[in-house]
This record gives sequence, structure tokens and C-alpha cells, in this order.
Amino acid sequence: MISGLVQILFFQSLGELVSKFVFPSLPGPVIGLVLLLIWLVINKKISESLAFVADGFSKYLGILFVPAAVGVVLFLPQLKANAVPIVGALVVSVILTIACSALVLKLLTKKTDTDA
Amino acid sequence: MREKNSIVEIWVYLSGSPLLALFITLAAFQVGLFVYQKSNQSPLANPVAIAVILVATFIQVIDMPYATYFQGAQFIHFLLGSATVSLAIPIYRGLDSLKKRSFPLFVSLLAGGGASILSAVGIATLLGADKTIIGAMYSKSVTAPIAMGIAERIGASPTLTAIFAVATGILGAILAPFVLNALGMKSWWQRGFPIGVAAHGLGTSRAFSINHEAGAYASLAMGMHGIVGAIAIPVLFHLFNS
Repeated sequence: MISGLVQILFFQSLGELVSKFVFPSLPGPVIGLVLLLIWLVINKKISESLAFVADGFSKYLGILFVPAAVGVVLFLPQLKANAVPIVGALVVSVILTIACSALVLKLLTKKTDTDA
Repeated sequence: MREKNSIVEIWVYLSGSPLLALFITLAAFQVGLFVYQKSNQSPLANPVAIAVILVATFIQVIDMPYATYFQGAQFIHFLLGSATVSLAIPIYRGLDSLKKRSFPLFVSLLAGGGASILSAVGIATLLGADKTIIGAMYSKSVTAPIAMGIAERIGASPTLTAIFAVATGILGAILAPFVLNALGMKSWWQRGFPIGVAAHGLGTSRAFSINHEAGAYASLAMGMHGIVGAIAIPVLFHLFNS
């Protein structure tokens, strides 16, 4: 587990450095993600320890949003005042997103894919 | 009187240390997970939403300023970056599927991601939402840790973005089966991918609970949307706001 954490923190730090000095428009962790992905592709395998840490993160990813999302207390009046546009935008947008993405897959794979 | 004073002292000590914030955050999430399991993993009983409501109510009741809470809870918040980096693992596992179908998957991602931004920003603008609200709509279909990073880059509120992202995840997990059935989507990979594009982590865990192939494609979509979104959304934002 420790070696997995070390790898992740190493690539996170590397990502922060690259973000600060080379691509300031990209968040450091995203650059770290891409660098780790490249490292995995070159290495062609995921170590057990890294898989353990990554699976732990993805299993409990939700709790990591809580501290930021509790900031909702600062926005309560604004959220109330904008309730209709917010709910409308979120509901319609998620339906359209799923529909557009699904329709493209359907149109582009109809002829070539046999397992559809 | 003396006893009352010592309780106050303990209270002052506790609320000044990170302990209380960490404790209530973990405990509230534990309650959320418990309710989620008890409800047979209903997307309505989302553990994140439950935890946020519990913590937000608690700190308002004890009159703890959000800044004080966050000072303690920042240790959890910090791990978001590490969790983002660790998304490389599910993407790596999905690379074979990506190679097989890279063209339709990329076009599908661009169509879905574009539809997400245009419709959310368009509808919120038409219905007269505030500028802060609209700014937080841009990255709501991107997985929350990356969405918050993008929000910082485009000058939107990371908090509102996280809230919209979580709400989108919950809505997507609930609505996706209906939309996909209405469109007659049958193969699992074609059902999973759009869920990951629209509803990131929450949609992905829902997809995994239904079918493994659907889940694998959903997590691939979530990772791709994170990377592409981090590059494209700031560009789109400046295009719309210049």
C-alpha cells in the first residue's frame, strides 16, 4: 500500500510542477493522471500496491467531495433564488448528454459492430 | 459553574482542532453509507448527498463557521488530487476497449460533453440564473475532483461546481436507464459509456452494479471526459465569455 501511495504522490507532485511551470491552464492532478497513465503504458502492468490504493480511492471517492460540498451553506440564499434555472438546467442537460452520447455510438457502430 | 466552564473549555479546544471536523465528516459519510446499503443502493439515497446535508446542518446548528470546519476537513479535501491521479488505473484497464472502438467512443464523448455544456449553460442563461451559477455549470459532467480543478482555472466557484457535479451524478444514475431504453440501446458497452460521459463517478458505480462491461465502459468514459474536459472546458469558457 505504501509503495502505491508513494507512486501516486510522486506523480501528483510531478503534475503540480508541470502545471506550475509548463501548462498553467491544466490542473496539476490531471497532468499527474496523464503522466501516471503514460508510465503504466510503458511499464505494461499495474503493481499490486498501486491497484490496492487506486481501488480504495475509487471505492470511497465520494467522501472526498464532502468538505467542499458542505460549502453549500455559503450559497443557500443564492441557490434558493435560482432554484428553477438550476433544476431545469441540471435535469434537461443530463438527459441530453446521455442521449447525444448514446445516439452517436448507435449511429457510428450500426454497420461495423456485430455484437450490438 | 466550574463544571460548565470545563465543558466549554473542552468544546473550545475541540472545535479549534481538526479533530471535530474530521470526525463529523467521516461519521456523516458512515451514516450515508449505512442508509445507502439499507435502501438497496437506491441512487436517491446517495451517501455523499446524505453526508453533506448532515454536516451542513450540524455546523449550522453549533454555529461553526464554514472556514473553521474546512480548516479541519482540508485533510480529506487534499486527497481529491491524489484520487484524481489514481484515475489513471481504471483508464489504463480500459485502454484495450478504447483501442478497439476509439473512433465512435471519442465522437460520442465530444457529442455528450458538448451537449452537456451547451444545454446547461444555455438553459441556465435563458431562465435568468446568476453569473456565478452559470459559471459553475460548465464542468458539472466532469468527475468532481477534476471539475473543481477546472472551476478554479475558469474563475468559477469550486463549491458550486462540486454541488452541481454531485447532483448531476445522482440525476444521471436515476434517469439513465429510462433515456437509454427510450433510445433502444441494447449492448452493455453502448449503455455504459453514455452514463460515464454524463454522470461520471456516481453513474459509473451505478453502471457497475448493473453489469460489469457497462461499468468498465462508464469508468473509461469518466476518465476520458476528465482529461478532455480539463483541456477543452477552459477554452470553451473563454470563447463564450469574451
